[in-house]
Amino acid sequence: MEGERSLLERVQQHDQQALAEVHDHYFDRIYQYLNYRLGEPEAAADLTGEVFLALVKALKAGKPPRTSLAGWLYTVARNLTADYIKEKSRTVPLMEDLVADEPSLTDQIHLSQLAPVLRDALLKLTEEQQHVIALRFGQELSLAETAQLLDKTVGAVKALQHRALASLARHMPQEVQHDG
Amino acid sequence: MTDRFESILDESISAWQAGVPLEEILAEVPDYADELRPLLYAATVLTDPNPVPAPAEKKAALRAEYIKQVTELPAITPAPFRGKVRAIIKVIKRRTTREAVLKDIITVTITIILTLFVVALTLNYLAANTIPSDFLYGVKRISEDIQLSLTFDPERKAELEEEFNQRRLEEIEKLIEQNRAAVIQFKGILETKGENLWIVEDHTIFLPNDISIEDEIVEGDVVEVIGLLRSNNVLVADTIRLVR
Repeated sequence: MEGERSLLERVQQHDQQALAEVHDHYFDRIYQYLNYRLGEPEAAADLTGEVFLALVKALKAGKPPRTSLAGWLYTVARNLTADYIKEKSRTVPLMEDLVADEPSLTDQIHLSQLAPVLRDALLKLTEEQQHVIALRFGQELSLAETAQLLDKTVGAVKALQHRALASLARHMPQEVQHDG
Repeated sequence: MTDRFESILDESISAWQAGVPLEEILAEVPDYADELRPLLYAATVLTDPNPVPAPAEKKAALRAEYIKQVTELPAITPAPFRGKVRAIIKVIKRRTTREAVLKDIITVTITIILTLFVVALTLNYLAANTIPSDFLYGVKRISEDIQLSLTFDPERKAELEEEFNQRRLEEIEKLIEQNRAAVIQFKGILETKGENLWIVEDHTIFLPNDISIEDEIVEGDVVEVIGLLRSNNVLVADTIRLVR
């Protein structure tokens, strides 16, 4: 894969080969980001398709990504996620399934059992914090990469990450918090 | 404190993502262990160890639809001129970050100051031996005025004024030698006071009838004379005033 800058320039020129490379390079990442945010593989795949079609639409409209291809794709994915969640909350109570599946945390605390609890708490974070968590832990991007995608400083992302994790940790059972 | 903890948290997450066991990470920072533990647990749970790729069939279908739309995109062939303008705008944009602009302003300011300094020094050097009516004589006088205004010690200031007045007298000698006409200005002791002819500092000065002398001046006073030295070496006063 060539440099992102050079790829971006070719995309801006409607280079079909470059646009195919963009799809091949970013599809799985964007899909995993969306699946992480939504927890719904089917919807994540559909929205991933929409992200790339949005790129074609933007090029047609003469408004191509200007500075960062990855930043542009993740931003569209993020906006589509927000729209999807908003739309879904209007029709189906979002937490219903998760709450029903929540395991009872009694004697033996296992990390895997905490996942549904945290997922519940994750959805209560601010949209920006959810985005940072998805990039840092879903995509395992570095702080610097995350900061670049968000167009923020590394310090700002560190603070967002800290607040998000602290908020999530408050939802962990007491046994885990003091286990040691 | 928060900044430090945020950095420790991030370093711990990086260590954990690199495979260092949780307890080993916490043992490294015992002061923060209690605070870190639940956050790292949360980070552990949040990490998707085996992210599932999109179903291959679905991915292929979406790719086909995407490629179809890509092939329908109109081709872009930027005109050479447009391409050049775009390249220039790109360079300008890259140069217009706050840091770059600040750097440019500092560089330009320093360059201007240095250039002005060098020009001023050169002009001052060239003007050093000029006499009234020479092209650069004004520079010489401005330089002297600046020197005087920047001298705050009264004794040194008086010495400078005397030195500059000597220059004025020497300039008059040179003008007389060369039979040149010029406006002159100097200070000196009034040695002889006639009706229309005064002698100041060995120079005979003709006083026209319409000259107005406001001060009461007697022989022995120090006066300042401003007047015209004609090419026939006759010095006609325009203003004479008492130096107090």
